[in-house]
Amino acid sequence: MTEPAIKIEGLHFSYGKKHVLKGVDLEVPKGSIFGFLGRNGAGKTTMIKTLLGLQKPQAGRCLVGGLDSVTDTLEVRRRIGFMAEDQQMYGWMTVSRIIKWVAGFYPNWDDKFVDELAEVLSLPKDAKVKALSKGQNSSLALLLALGHRPDIVILDDPTLGLDPIARKDFLRHVIDLLQSNGVTVFFSSHLLYEIEPVADHIAILNDGVIIKACKTEQLRESVRKFALTPAPGADFSQVPGILDALKVGESVSIAIDGCDPAKKARLKEMSANGMTETALNLDEIFEAYVIGNRGRELTAH
Amino acid sequence: MPIYRQIIDQIRYQVVTGRLKEGDKVPSVRELASRLAVNQNTILKVYNELCRQNVLKVERGDGTYVSSSKQSISVAERKKAVASVLREAATLAVQLELPVEQAGELLRKEYQNIVSQKAGRGKK
Repeated sequence: MTEPAIKIEGLHFSYGKKHVLKGVDLEVPKGSIFGFLGRNGAGKTTMIKTLLGLQKPQAGRCLVGGLDSVTDTLEVRRRIGFMAEDQQMYGWMTVSRIIKWVAGFYPNWDDKFVDELAEVLSLPKDAKVKALSKGQNSSLALLLALGHRPDIVILDDPTLGLDPIARKDFLRHVIDLLQSNGVTVFFSSHLLYEIEPVADHIAILNDGVIIKACKTEQLRESVRKFALTPAPGADFSQVPGILDALKVGESVSIAIDGCDPAKKARLKEMSANGMTETALNLDEIFEAYVIGNRGRELTAH
Repeated sequence: MPIYRQIIDQIRYQVVTGRLKEGDKVPSVRELASRLAVNQNTILKVYNELCRQNVLKVERGDGTYVSSSKQSISVAERKKAVASVLREAATLAVQLELPVEQAGELLRKEYQNIVSQKAGRGKK
C-alpha cells in the first residue's frame, strides 16, 4: 500500500464554544478524485482550512503527503493547490497581472504550464478580473491554484454558482488537467449528483463526523429501500445499518446501508407477508445518510 | 443505476443497432472520459467489462475496437443475462397491472425495432 495523499486522524475543531469537527478520520488515496460531501454548515470548509494549516485543531492531526499541516505548514502549502469557495480576487487587476502577482509567492511557479492552462481554459489575458464571468472566474481561480504544479489540489465547492454547462466544463478540466497527470483532487460539494460522475471515492461529512466513506460506485449499490409489513414482535434494532425508517400506516419503509443477502434475509423474517425492494436515487441516498432517523421511530416502542 | 452501467448499456445499444460496427475504433479512455466529463477509472471499468463480454477488444498499443468475434457464451448464459434484466420490467408490469400478453408484445416490438435499425444501417 502506498501512503495516502491526505490522512486525517481524530480531528477536532471548535470556534469558541461551537464544536464543529468532532473527530474526523479520513484517508484520501494518491491519484484519486475524492468527493467530499456535506450539507451547508456541516463543517466542510472548516475541515479544509484545518487541512491547509490555516487554523490549528484542538485535537488530532492532518497529514499531507506524510507531513503534518501544523508543524510543516510551508512545505504542505507548497504541495497543495487550493481554490477557495467563492474565491474573491482583486477586480482591478488584469488576468495576466494577477497571474504574475500570485506567481511571486511560489519559487516553483511554472510559466510555460500556466500559459498552456490559460489557453485551454480560454482565459482572456488582458481582461480585468471584475469583467470576467462567473465561469471564467472559477477557471482563473483554478489556474492560480495549479501554477506551481501541486501534487494535491483542494477545491472547496468549485462549481458554486455555475450554470450546468459551465459546471460540466469545469469538471471536464479537472479530469483533463488533473486526473490525466496523476494529481490527487479533493473537492467538496453539497451536490451528490455532481460528484458522482467524476469522483473515485466519496465521503459524507455530517454534523462534524464522517458518516460514510466508500468508492463511488458502491454508494448506489449498497443502499436499498424495503417496504414491508412487520410481523408481530419484529425487532428491527437487530438489523445493523438502518439509515432511515418510516411508518406508513401498517407498513414500514426502511432504507438500509451495506445491503447484503444476510440483512435482506433478516428483514424478510420480520415481515408478515413478503417485501418489495427498490433502489434509491442519489438525492434520496444523501438524504437517508444525512437526515435519516436510524430507525429510532421503530424502536421507540 | 451507477454511471458505468449506464455507459455500458449505451455502448452495447450502439453495437447491437449497428451504429458502431465490427472493427470500429472506439475513443480512448482519456478521450471518452473528457467528452462525458466522467472519471477515467469509470471508463476503464466500462471497457474492461465490455472486453470481458466480448463486445470490445483491445489491440495492444493501438486502441480499443468493436470485437468481431461472434457470441462465445452458451445459450444458458445468454438466457440468464436476459432474464436478470427482464425481472425489473416484469416487476413493473405486474405492479402497473399490465397483462402479460401486452408486456410480451412490447418486448417483441423493441426487439424488432433494434433488428430493423441494424438491417437499415447494413444496407447503406
